[in-house]
Amino acid sequence: MSEKKIKNIFVNGPIEPAFIADSIAKHGSKTAIGGHSIFMGQVRKDEIDGKFVAAIEYTAYEEIALEKMHQIREDIFEKYPLNCMHIYHSLGTVKTGEICLFVFTSSAHRKPAIAACSEVVDRLKAELPIWGKEIFEDKTHQWKENI
Amino acid sequence: MEIEIISFGQITEFINNQKIEVDGIADTDAFKQYIEDRFPALKGIKYKLALNKNIIQQNTKIANQATIAIMPPFSGG
Repeated sequence: MSEKKIKNIFVNGPIEPAFIADSIAKHGSKTAIGGHSIFMGQVRKDEIDGKFVAAIEYTAYEEIALEKMHQIREDIFEKYPLNCMHIYHSLGTVKTGEICLFVFTSSAHRKPAIAACSEVVDRLKAELPIWGKEIFEDKTHQWKENI
Repeated sequence: MEIEIISFGQITEFINNQKIEVDGIADTDAFKQYIEDRFPALKGIKYKLALNKNIIQQNTKIANQATIAIMPPFSGG
């Protein structure tokens, strides 16, 4: 177990579109890749009892989250022939319309990249100890729950 | 024995991080009983425990100086 390298996935605040663009650009030199799949989670302006969500404040049990993410990453690499996989999740405040999750998978042909991307998002939402606190425009809040 | 309690998400609103000195809490089932008695608000929430950074799936023995995290349902992504 000491050999494993646990990657950090957490970013403070929103994930900037320029960061995503740069991440895509970096794959230009990886010419074995024939298909990329990208998922981006964006904070939605939900209306609850007449109040609108202004932002989500994310917190996590970081050590467990990173350990779990490592396991998921290993499972996914075992299951699909991927060339690479990148995952970033926000911590702290992310306003409506901003990006809070970025999952990026690449393979020689499109299908593994698409399936892996979808599976990573599903597992991340179900298994990682991360919590989102929805902050309304009037500064009241409620805790988000994944269904 | 000493147990360190840490809480997350909505549970932080009624259980602060704290160290408790207690006897007679041998396992995680006993801990649940203890914590729900002390914080009845917990009874209405589906929560999971992590003992020393491992998420608990079944009743597990607790040793002295354990850290127990109380975690409500996850909502990442």
